[in-house]
Amino acid sequence: MPVVELVGVTKAYDQKIAVDNLSLTIEAGQMFGLLGPNGAGKTSSIRMIIGITIPDSGKVNLFGKPFDRQSLERVGYLPEERGLYKKMKVLDQLVFFGELHGIQPAEARKRATEWAKRLEIADSLLKKTEELSKGMQQKIQFISSLLHDPGLIIMDEPFSGLDPVNAVLLEKTLIELKDEGKAIVFSTHRMDQVEKLCDSICLIDKGKAVLAGKVREIKASYERNRIIIEFEGSSAFLNSSEIAESKNYSGHVEIRLKEHGNAQKLLHEAASVATIYRFEMVEPSLEEIFIQTVGGKADA
Amino acid sequence: MRNILLVAKREYLEQIRGRAFRLTTVLVPAVFAILIGIGYLSSIGLGSHRHLVIASDDAALANEMRAQMLKEKDAKATIDVVTPASADQRATLLKQVQSKDIDGFLVLETHAEGLPTATYTSPSAGDFTTHGRLKDALNNAIVNQHLIKDGMKQPDIEAIDKGVPIPTYQVKKDGTVVKSNAVISFYKGYVMAILLSMTTIMYGLNVARSIIQEKTSRIFEVMLAIAKPSDMLAGKLIGVGAVGLTQILIWVVAAGAIVGSAFAAPILSGDYAVHFSLIEGILFPVYFILGYFLYSSLFAGLAATCETEQELQMYTPLAAVPVWLSFAMIMLIINDSNSVWSIAASFFPPCAPIIMFLRMGSQIPPMWQFAVSISLMILSIWAVLAISSRLYRIGILMYGKRATLPEIIRWMRYS
Repeated sequence: MPVVELVGVTKAYDQKIAVDNLSLTIEAGQMFGLLGPNGAGKTSSIRMIIGITIPDSGKVNLFGKPFDRQSLERVGYLPEERGLYKKMKVLDQLVFFGELHGIQPAEARKRATEWAKRLEIADSLLKKTEELSKGMQQKIQFISSLLHDPGLIIMDEPFSGLDPVNAVLLEKTLIELKDEGKAIVFSTHRMDQVEKLCDSICLIDKGKAVLAGKVREIKASYERNRIIIEFEGSSAFLNSSEIAESKNYSGHVEIRLKEHGNAQKLLHEAASVATIYRFEMVEPSLEEIFIQTVGGKADA
Repeated sequence: MRNILLVAKREYLEQIRGRAFRLTTVLVPAVFAILIGIGYLSSIGLGSHRHLVIASDDAALANEMRAQMLKEKDAKATIDVVTPASADQRATLLKQVQSKDIDGFLVLETHAEGLPTATYTSPSAGDFTTHGRLKDALNNAIVNQHLIKDGMKQPDIEAIDKGVPIPTYQVKKDGTVVKSNAVISFYKGYVMAILLSMTTIMYGLNVARSIIQEKTSRIFEVMLAIAKPSDMLAGKLIGVGAVGLTQILIWVVAAGAIVGSAFAAPILSGDYAVHFSLIEGILFPVYFILGYFLYSSLFAGLAATCETEQELQMYTPLAAVPVWLSFAMIMLIINDSNSVWSIAASFFPPCAPIIMFLRMGSQIPPMWQFAVSISLMILSIWAVLAISSRLYRIGILMYGKRATLPEIIRWMRYS
């Protein structure tokens, strides 16, 4: 049973079509990346999944049945436009959100304390939100979306504003949640994180799904025309007629071959002028696929 | 319903714990006390320490006038009489006014025929209190001179000067007759109307401010994934309204304690006695709740279309127009609280709470008028709430730019 199922969903505001006949399926235990350039329709799609807006046409199913507000008690949402009550104490705030999700106050308090320990912010529970740094507030928001143990977690740009240490902590937590069987949807511009964390993606452009499927299969479907070479000696081989584009980082080169470019010929040319330590044909990165698919409009 | 109560509880606790609540709870009555205090001090002649000179060729009339001015128990003026009122003398007095040795001088001229004439010169154009006292003193002095000339004795003249008191009594609905003080009754209604208008607008604005803050802090997006917009709005209105009722309750209890104290009892007895009827006790919270819901739902709709508090402030005077209108009608209501205009104004929902309490200051209106006024208010709250909740539902998700009128109209059509 899919946790989220969008079937031919369309949403227009005045004359602008924000989401155009979008269909996607997200299963339990799956980390799903919703990608696209700014204004592509990601937030509009998410808002329809959680009932903030209603689609003009199409169906939204949550947990195997048509959307109803009761289902929202099993959804955790971290929006891109984040907000907390600044004057409230962190613990009170978490208990408030927990209660709104149907948890008893004592249980909400217990879970908030446990989560705060897990995310290393237990010392901040009795402080006012406005006294915390942006990164700390981000973690509070993260906890508030997970406190009620949701089956579906939707996160819009969850890593923005986090330092590398906390970003790793968040990544680790998301992987643990996925392993617990939660369905996780996240929308981001950080392709490296999508590549690292997501099982499946849907790339939206102008409201339409332009690329969807499992990350592994999508990457495999693209030609292996990227080559990484680590070498010592002359870099004259970078002028080879087989190369479309190259980035040389003193001894480490990332190369994109021309269409039907010959990798073996390039290896011979390189070996004739330099000592080769590594010559690897790699799949295109998601970032490259993203840029290739949506053209020059991408912000990633 | 659970979400409405949770949102209401959060709003209530946040505002009750806030510094603004503590400040307004203390400051509002303090401002009232200061205003009443200033009014009282003015009435007993504070600021009337004037040094005046009466210049006249008629020494008897000038001295009689001086006596009249000093007769008032609260008069603290120093009055000198200068005779004769020559041109040189006037020039000297003018210099004394310029050098602030005296506060003003009155030149009193008598004529062979007709009444005397007088001119008052002072640096202040707006000192109507002194002008009024001079006028009364001169008129009394002239009348007294005439009475003495006609043979009336001094004690009889003084008895006339004291005037005849006319105590007032009010017939209540149940036929009982009670001693009343028209001025005190009016001020009671006036103070209750001010309190009502101030609190309804203050808490209506609190709702609007809370919406703007949530909009700018982007918390709406989180809240909307949990609660319905209508629940959020209802919770907010109930929570903030409960804060208002709590504050009024604190004021009522504090006022009760002060009125019942040994210090206040002698002042508030006799002519200054203030009586509150049961109907006033019931209707005050009723009109507060209705007025608050009307104004707060109006402000909520406006706030949802705004981006910043500054933007909201531009609309606030418009929303306060009915309050100004109500107070502009005070004289109309004092003169005849049962006129067609007074009744019509008390039926007009935005003005109803204020006008009703101004009317009640003179006389308790018939019950059917309360029923009509309350019913019309409930109907208008329903209508305003229907429009505002649509604006709220759409407006809270619109960030970044101020909504134009065509956009607002479109929002109303959407849902």
